Amino acid sequence: MKKASQLSFGERGVIADIDPSHPSSSRIIEIGFTPGQEIQLVNSSIFNDPIAFSIRGTLIAVRKNEADCIILS
Amino acid sequence: MKSTTVDRLPLVTLVGPPNSGKTTLFNLLSGKNYKTVNYPGSTVEYSTSKIHTKYKLNALLLDSPGIVSLNPNSPDEEISVNSLYDHPEYGSPTLIITTVDANQLSRHLLLSKQLIDAGFKVIVAVTMIDVLQKRGFKVNEVILSKELGCDVVSIDCRHGLGIEKFLKVLELELDTTKNNVNSNPVKNHASRNKDDLLNIFKIVESIEQKSIIPIDSLTQDQLNVINSKLNILNPKLKYGAKQPDELTLKIDKILLNRNWGLIYFFLIMSFVFTSIFWFAQPFMTMVDEFFGFLASSSNQLLGDNWYGNLISDGLISGVGSVMVFLPQILMLFLILGLLEDTGYLARGAMLIDKPLSKIGLNGRSFVPMLSGFACAIPAMLAARTIQNKRERFLTIFIIPLMSCSARLPVYVLLIAFLTPSDKAWIAGFALASIYIFSILTSILVAAIINKFRKKIIKTEDNSSFILELPIYRLPKISNVLRNTYDSARQYIMRAGPIIFALSIIIWAMTYFPNHTPEFNKTGLSQEQIFQIEKSERLSGSYAASMGKLIQPFMTPIGMDWRVGVSLITAFAAREVFVSSLALIFKVTDESNLQSSILDAMRSAKIGDTDKQLFTPSTIIGLIVFFIFALQCISTVAVSKKETGSWRIPILQIIIFTSTAYILTFLTVNGLRLFGMS
Repeated sequence: MKKASQLSFGERGVIADIDPSHPSSSRIIEIGFTPGQEIQLVNSSIFNDPIAFSIRGTLIAVRKNEADCIILS
Repeated sequence: MKSTTVDRLPLVTLVGPPNSGKTTLFNLLSGKNYKTVNYPGSTVEYSTSKIHTKYKLNALLLDSPGIVSLNPNSPDEEISVNSLYDHPEYGSPTLIITTVDANQLSRHLLLSKQLIDAGFKVIVAVTMIDVLQKRGFKVNEVILSKELGCDVVSIDCRHGLGIEKFLKVLELELDTTKNNVNSNPVKNHASRNKDDLLNIFKIVESIEQKSIIPIDSLTQDQLNVINSKLNILNPKLKYGAKQPDELTLKIDKILLNRNWGLIYFFLIMSFVFTSIFWFAQPFMTMVDEFFGFLASSSNQLLGDNWYGNLISDGLISGVGSVMVFLPQILMLFLILGLLEDTGYLARGAMLIDKPLSKIGLNGRSFVPMLSGFACAIPAMLAARTIQNKRERFLTIFIIPLMSCSARLPVYVLLIAFLTPSDKAWIAGFALASIYIFSILTSILVAAIINKFRKKIIKTEDNSSFILELPIYRLPKISNVLRNTYDSARQYIMRAGPIIFALSIIIWAMTYFPNHTPEFNKTGLSQEQIFQIEKSERLSGSYAASMGKLIQPFMTPIGMDWRVGVSLITAFAAREVFVSSLALIFKVTDESNLQSSILDAMRSAKIGDTDKQLFTPSTIIGLIVFFIFALQCISTVAVSKKETGSWRIPILQIIIFTSTAYILTFLTVNGLRLFGMS
């Protein structure tokens, strides 16, 4: 089971599910990370955290541990 | 007071996600310019305005902070959501205008849908259609309106297109709602449940699919070409609008580069702070000469009597010595505004989230901390965008350590004392060092406080950093200039009266009782007699008797009561320190205020001795004092308001001011130990 946090630079993936047990999961969904959406890891901070995804035509930066709850298919 | 009468002005509230063009629409409708910036969640305080008279619509317009959904996630959003239902001052809105970015429909319609479902009367304003058009698509308003069940109007806010149609719809809606008073929104309708959220998204996505259509000239074949070019994996996506702005991606490749990103970050930040010093210099000289001219001509005009003295010495020199620094403050606001408007600040927040989280802060602390270099008050308000209470309180705690614009006059004066005037770069370098030192200090303080966090800030909740990186765009110069003007005006309104009043008080305290001293005048020149009279009068003044009380605190740090009085007055506003010095050392006429303050400082002696009052070590000591001391009453008041108790502000006063005194003591005496004068 691959997570969005495990994508390498420039890699794409399609979201399969969001882990609801993570405290940030509802905000992750509200900002647009929903099953079926394609995401791409486009940027990361020099410390490799946070990381920025291209999703729904915009760029969203999230912390790595929050990207953990985004499960890819 | 809440207005409950039926015939109150209809209230139109603007609601929208961050970066959806909400505040731009507010500016367009209100005619009054209010801050609109390209950083998510920049509207931390409400701004209200009547709808511009030229539109002939009688309604009150209320802007609100950007929210992603009706489920609040930070104090900022909570205030925003609660006041949507029932604003403490204006009640519930007659009508809600919600902005959605045409390029972000599937994300932004989530909020619109929640609002409609909650029972609000909603008009959807589709913004940034020009960007979508460039990509070959448009929004079909009729379909969108039918699917959502509310009015939909497209507006190009930047160019003001579509505004007439929008106003017509607004007028019609206001007319129809007039009779059936208020809509009846259901509070807490929105659910945080995962399935419910995903359900709304499904509905919203299908609405988006139906309502975004290619511009006629684009055939399905062309569309397929675009889609294959963009290498879209997901077959469900039928159009290219789902790709982020290409230019933005290119710029990010450079500015967010893994190896160089942080270096660019520091270069940009250093540019910001050094340019404040460079660009403002010529304007400062102009202001300085202007006030110098005013002081000397009023002195000649009114003569040497008490009122002439009050006007030229008290008011003009006092106010002028601070106004000299207005160009630098303007420059600071201007450059911060430009930087905000480009969209880089959100990247800055992302770049330093990791290091900041190590010391108990958040990437979102970056913008409040940066604003702290202008003024601590808006900075503390900006901290509301930090969801985690502990991180927010810690950010508020260290904001007073950011070198605010009120310290600038003090530093510039003190640095000018230390450095040769013909080598501006040394002064620039010294100022940059003070800024860097204050940043390092705040990091250290945050780290220390973070260690004791359980004792100081008791709450513990989810730490999160989820932030949209807006597209890069050229700052709209007219917007930035007007914001700069607004900020500078506010600065003068806030600091001006205090400086004015204190100038009169300090003048009076140093001028009265104004006895004529008796001493042996034989063998003294006219000039020497004048100087002795001046210093005798001052030492017999009320300020001196008050100052003698604080002398015991000043002696250990190598200073005397005159500096002490200036330091006390600086607690009303830091920049008053400069005008106090100007008044106490009786700086008059001369063509140049700053250089005459410096001359007076250079010739000042401690008491009756021959010892210099201002030496390099005491000046450096004073700089250290100003870096740490919490000397701003308004900051304390806002800190109390934002943290909800006296606990944090009192800790701030005690910790910062005692640290300031102790470190000044150590600096002055340490430097003297090493042979500095």
